[in-house]
Amino acid sequence: MSNIAGKAYAMNAVTPMRWYTAWWNRLFFWIAHKRPATTAGLVTLSLIHYARWVIVMPHQFPKLSSDQPQEDVKYAYMIFFSNFNGSWNQYVDSFSSAIPGGLNLFWFGSIKYPKSVPMLPFHRYITSNQIWTDYYYNAYPMASSNDVKSAKKVKDSLLAFIGDSQKAAPEEFMQKYNRLLIDLQHDISQMGPNPVVSLSASAVERNLRKEGVERKELSD
Amino acid sequence: MTTRVDLDDVQGNVVKAYARYGLVVARYVFFHVDVPVAGRKFVADIVPLVTLGTPWKDLSKTPRVGTNIGFTYEGLRHLDTPEVTLHGFPEAFSMGMKARREIIGDTGPSLYHRWDPVWNNQDDNKQHVHIMVTIDGKEEKDLDSRYQEIQRILAANPGVSQLVGHRGAGGDNLPYQPAAALLSTKDNLGYPGGKEHFGYSDGITTTFFEGCGEDPNLVIGGGKPTGGDPRTPAGWAPLAAGEFILGHPDEAFEYPEAPGPPLFSRNGTFIAYRKLHQNVGSFHSYLDEEGARFPDGKEALAAKFAGRWRNGAPLVSFPTEESANRFVAELAPLQVKVWTQSATPQEKTRFAELSLQLVAFDYRDDTSGARCPFGSHMRRTNPRSALQFGKTNAFAVPGALSNRRRILRRGLPYGQVDDPTRDDGDHGVIMLIVNADLSRQFEFVQQQWMNYGNDFGLANDPDPLLGNHGTNEGRLGGGRMTIEGDVVTNKPPYFCNHMPTFVETRGGDYFFVPSLTCLRTIALGIIDPT
Amino acid sequence: MANKSGNAYALTVLCPILRGVPSDSPAGNSGQTYTALLRNVLQTLHVNEESPMAKVPNTYLCRFWVLSDVPYQGKPAFLEHLKSDYLVFSSNFHGELEPYLAGMWKALQEDVLAILWHCVGHEAVRDAKSFIEYVKKCQVTTTFFFNGSTDEPLVEQLKNLYLKQEFSRFAFENQGKSASELQEAFRGFVQRTQPTNLDGPTWAPGAYHLDRVEGASK
Repeated sequence: MSNIAGKAYAMNAVTPMRWYTAWWNRLFFWIAHKRPATTAGLVTLSLIHYARWVIVMPHQFPKLSSDQPQEDVKYAYMIFFSNFNGSWNQYVDSFSSAIPGGLNLFWFGSIKYPKSVPMLPFHRYITSNQIWTDYYYNAYPMASSNDVKSAKKVKDSLLAFIGDSQKAAPEEFMQKYNRLLIDLQHDISQMGPNPVVSLSASAVERNLRKEGVERKELSD
Repeated sequence: MTTRVDLDDVQGNVVKAYARYGLVVARYVFFHVDVPVAGRKFVADIVPLVTLGTPWKDLSKTPRVGTNIGFTYEGLRHLDTPEVTLHGFPEAFSMGMKARREIIGDTGPSLYHRWDPVWNNQDDNKQHVHIMVTIDGKEEKDLDSRYQEIQRILAANPGVSQLVGHRGAGGDNLPYQPAAALLSTKDNLGYPGGKEHFGYSDGITTTFFEGCGEDPNLVIGGGKPTGGDPRTPAGWAPLAAGEFILGHPDEAFEYPEAPGPPLFSRNGTFIAYRKLHQNVGSFHSYLDEEGARFPDGKEALAAKFAGRWRNGAPLVSFPTEESANRFVAELAPLQVKVWTQSATPQEKTRFAELSLQLVAFDYRDDTSGARCPFGSHMRRTNPRSALQFGKTNAFAVPGALSNRRRILRRGLPYGQVDDPTRDDGDHGVIMLIVNADLSRQFEFVQQQWMNYGNDFGLANDPDPLLGNHGTNEGRLGGGRMTIEGDVVTNKPPYFCNHMPTFVETRGGDYFFVPSLTCLRTIALGIIDPT
Repeated sequence: MANKSGNAYALTVLCPILRGVPSDSPAGNSGQTYTALLRNVLQTLHVNEESPMAKVPNTYLCRFWVLSDVPYQGKPAFLEHLKSDYLVFSSNFHGELEPYLAGMWKALQEDVLAILWHCVGHEAVRDAKSFIEYVKKCQVTTTFFFNGSTDEPLVEQLKNLYLKQEFSRFAFENQGKSASELQEAFRGFVQRTQPTNLDGPTWAPGAYHLDRVEGASK
């Protein structure tokens, strides 16, 4: 059970809220959706691949058969999923310092949410409502969100350059190539494995390799 | 509402960089506690020698020697610190620095089996080093006189032993780690000199926090950025004291986590002591070879690695070697005059103006890294407001991503370079890093900013100077750095490849540096967290 | 549409897990609840490039976890409980929902059934169509989806990453060459890396070692 897949960390948090507060919360999310400036901080932080907030109203838990009892919870529940780079322990400070307003906007309705500053109560609140991931898959564990975005720029620039320089004589080619390098100078660092953000996570990884834990093909 | 720090209760090495006061030589002495009672008595005997954080206002009357004391986790345990208090320490501290090696990158060439013997105990993997006593002095004789006092205290407390096993010019088994500022050369910025073994001027910025007792002008460049003009006081505010001293509000507007009872940890802090060996031969040969190819030459290449020219001028304000040399040519003689108290009032003013230029800058006019590379050492260790990447409205405060990652640097170079073509001499830096939270500050910077590059958009690139570039094969290593070109002048980027590891860890550990109040309670054995 | 951001889709699924202990447990598993058995399956799935999810086209990042109950915040909050456990599946992928699920069924039909065996109503799942219907019944709408990355097809993201890594090496290795040498070398680079060919060479999905990222995509 690990929240880590290469450079990505899977955070899951479930927090309750009163059903009528949930409506306000949904409105704020809708505004955030319409107004990109709301997430400017998150975008600049640049640490996140994809994140989502899912508000489940009391009656919205899926019921698939008459044998399955109907849920009768009073609270709505907000489930937060994030895929970000670095561990939660390491980066909670960055989130709390950089975008406290945004965090408050998203979590204000959650019962007993303590605001995002000071950091320690916020950290404890999220961690106490955090649920550990049982299985996490990342299609590119060696790439951070910055790497993925940067790679798109590299590809686009390369293709444009290839088209533009096809018929160039060597000197002109070199000039255009140098301009390409200037354009891409912050996009051509090499990628590699994640730093060890957690000794327990790397220990788990080593144990699994050492003990050769039987990893199932599901169709066994 | 500002923070008031009782500097009489904080140890002096926390708030003062002793070298700035002329204490330019040091000895770092380490002890093991065999018998708790003897350990506590040893502490009690040392307490009267401990230098306080009280500001030294009269520079003609500064002490000739400073002494301070710190404890590892095992050290505190061997002094019978209560379990409850011990459990209140964060895991980074209780594990000790050696056990944290995968997190901080002390692997490969920095792996502990190459450390000085004093850090490796054959019997078990528990921390062997319990107590660190640091002695800072103006001259060797001052050090020696204090050292002899401590030897007498040691003799009076047979349940405490001094650990030997430091490597140095005299062999593998020295009884302490010596350190000393390098003697001045005509190129030095400071007087007698703030150089290190690669030739860089070091120790220029003073990290400034509320209640530190330093000259208030040092907030410029040393505090946190406000977004205002960095050349003026309006551009800076003091950092919160709690980033560096427990029991005071930190940058997240709360007290940093600390073990109880409050009286135990208040005014205390943590220090990471690291012996960093410098591969002088590899550095010079890489600089010579690559510098011959680098279009702006060898000194410029050295500047790009560090973010400052080797004479100390910051790249971002002095982009050319000529401008940097002109700047220092004016600054250095003025510095000598000021230090020898032979400067006219005009010269003093001019000196102040020029000194400010060493630190009063940020990266707002260099958002492409054309002057100071994103990956340079200085820009990594202290990004100022650069992690906004120019988006000044995105974060709550300009330094949001760096205000919680600041540290205080203490320590001195050690050894000397007899043969600059060799790596294996005895030369490096003893680095003492002061912070309230080892994992959030030192370890974070070490892992995410020294040995990795994602926060700067540099994927996995490590710091050119301090990064772990893997085990060197001859003079080649696995390090790389992109030195940005300039879109304005069409200068393409320059790529440094195969950089060897220039700096290797050769020892160290994490120490709790208690307040004077706490020291007395440790000595008396009366800590009670009930 | 809250589930989407550009072409990226945020699928959130809560599948109710059967309560109690299965009567037809395989030998050696008796006494374990459906939830416990399911957790065991999830925690021992292959990882990285051998992950079953690497075979599902366009999966950027996804995860499974079990929601056993709702968290109690302490007085004066109510103490309440869920009556069932839920398998939570969250996937970030490129494209539309139905083609994605159809792709998942096609690549992992047996694996999907093995997981769903633990869930309520799984008997209804027999083919791609009924699988899609089942998932839609279990789907909860994403309230807010933040895309901090790109929304291209996965094969493009992987090819981009491959090109970034390769071009980085090229730039470093070819510094200082003459103009005609450089042009020649670059032609070789283009031939070798085939920038417009998404089938290969490229990074393999889920690969996590420098020597294993590259290879023709599956």
